[in-house]
Amino acid sequence: MKLIDALAVIRRPLPGNAPFLRVSLACGFTPLHFETFLTAALRERSSAERVEITTGLFGDLAGNIEGIRPAGCDALVAVLEWQDLDLRLGVRNLGGWRVAELPDIVKSAQRMLARLEKAILTAAASIPTYISLPTLPLPPLFTTPSQQASAYELELRQALSTFAASLATQTRIRILSASHLDEISPPSNRFDVQSELLAGFPYQLSHASALAELLAALIRNPSPKKGLITDLDDTLWSGILGENGVDGVSWHIDQKAHIHGLYQQLLASLASAGILTAVASKNEPALVQQAFEREDLLIDKQSLYPIDVHWGPKSESVRRILKTWNIAADSVIFIDDSPMELAEVKAVFPEMEFLLFPKTDYQAFWQLLRRLRDAFGKAIVSEEDSIRLDSIRAAAALEKSSNGEGTSLDSFLQDAKASVTIAFGKEKEDHRAFELINKTNQFNLNGKRLTESSWMAYFNDPTTFLMTVSYEDKYGALGKIAVLLGRMGGKAATIDYWVMSCRAFSRRIEHQCLGWLFENLDLQEIGFAYQPTDRNKPIQDFLAGIAATPLPTDVRVSRADFAEKCPPLFHQAKATVNA
Amino acid sequence: MHNLEPMHHLEHRLVRCFSSVFPDLDEEQIRNASIESVPGWHSLASVTLISVVQEEFGVQVSLTDLPNLVSFSAVQNYVQHHLAS
Repeated sequence: MKLIDALAVIRRPLPGNAPFLRVSLACGFTPLHFETFLTAALRERSSAERVEITTGLFGDLAGNIEGIRPAGCDALVAVLEWQDLDLRLGVRNLGGWRVAELPDIVKSAQRMLARLEKAILTAAASIPTYISLPTLPLPPLFTTPSQQASAYELELRQALSTFAASLATQTRIRILSASHLDEISPPSNRFDVQSELLAGFPYQLSHASALAELLAALIRNPSPKKGLITDLDDTLWSGILGENGVDGVSWHIDQKAHIHGLYQQLLASLASAGILTAVASKNEPALVQQAFEREDLLIDKQSLYPIDVHWGPKSESVRRILKTWNIAADSVIFIDDSPMELAEVKAVFPEMEFLLFPKTDYQAFWQLLRRLRDAFGKAIVSEEDSIRLDSIRAAAALEKSSNGEGTSLDSFLQDAKASVTIAFGKEKEDHRAFELINKTNQFNLNGKRLTESSWMAYFNDPTTFLMTVSYEDKYGALGKIAVLLGRMGGKAATIDYWVMSCRAFSRRIEHQCLGWLFENLDLQEIGFAYQPTDRNKPIQDFLAGIAATPLPTDVRVSRADFAEKCPPLFHQAKATVNA
Repeated sequence: MHNLEPMHHLEHRLVRCFSSVFPDLDEEQIRNASIESVPGWHSLASVTLISVVQEEFGVQVSLTDLPNLVSFSAVQNYVQHHLAS
């Protein structure tokens, strides 16, 4: 983005009631155009938010971070440069670059990194924190020629890496990828010496823009895709199964089919991180079954579900797969080597993302791998991610069973040997609960999302509580699948947020949640901050079943009404209550 | 002299630059703008304006020249001179 465009973006009008995104920008330089670029990049990514950036004092990065006040701050952005670690690592101060001074510069930088780490950890306890490590070149203070790394320089970089690796393990801290920045902002075009010396602003405009764009992408990152549907022939493997046979298809380097092996490897990695992966292939089912028995496959057959193989249009497969996964088409990527197949599915599901498998173009294949990692990238892999596919299989099995003849839902649920584990308290470090609130659409009380800072702030009210629900039955564990956030008020409670994973539908877990609240909190009434959305019909139907119809926005359910309308529950309920 | 462009074209682009920094001024006010006549023309606005101009025209402006670039016509002359040289 050019500066003139950034200025135009930040002046775009906003509605008077636009919510604020308040960002504390901590840096040791004059923020000048970087502040403009960051504001504009955030506005571009979140056009409905009023971005407000506050900055600190020149030359005092650590002090600026230590002085952050969490109240009213949605994000902390810390932009480090070498001179923040020791002024002699910059060009505005003349502290000396003599050989004898180099060890002290390194030690002083290490001390400052320790101070910064402490300050950042303190801030990140209450505010989501985004960090850019030094992006500018070190000045020529070492005795070695520029093509040779000095031991002192390596010590400095080692200290910085240790600092960053330690912080990166924290859930509320994100470190900007230096290698990604290198790709879009060449290191040799970043430093503006004149501007640094005369104005205290060290960046070329193009670099300030690139850095701001990436930080904005960290702060307001798009939701990752949830599912990948792949073709088999000339995609998952090289060759045509029906022509080459089970032993004729390949993915090994000696058959010049290595890119298919790499593709399998990436898919296995995605599946292990909880990404849903399925197959849509025009093939002979029995032959595909045999091919998946090959022991040299790099992706386990169990990681691919469903495997939908037939000779009909692939859009039919995609429809069935989406129904099994119960996710929307816009959360899915479809990959095939045939432009015709891509076009056929696209005509039916235009909102899906389509990628051509480039079987002969290695560079395009490399870009495909990178695109997949970006599209499905997530900061944290949770326990629920690892059991997601199993729970979808279990749900499919449950549905198949419950659709059988001569059976009722009651008898199936009774036979399911289900247990529900409720955690009640204020465990605000629960990343899975936060994630569910922000990605669940169907069983969602009002469609409202929470930023990390508003999540933290919610629990500052002493009357609020967090309830999470985990579920398991004989078909398998679903993990943590429901979250309620509410407030107590005597014999009544108000539920402000309530979401439940679609994988947990049809098990009466929602009834169990309310039943537990009535019983264990001795409530006479529960109110719901309900709002209809385009996608929350499941919760509309549920509330309509226990409250008045049509639903008012101020939904209230009495203990007596709930007891009358609640169907039989067969779960074994366990609970942990934290103060 | 291949960098020379029609005067009216350059002037139009320069008006856009000024407008991005001083959005409340109309085109006529911009053409007559000076550090005395525009209340918001402080040092930060000067640095922003010059950065926008550098980016728009690809000319390198020395920050030491900043004290002289105090009106629309001064900036216009400066840009013309540097594009021609």
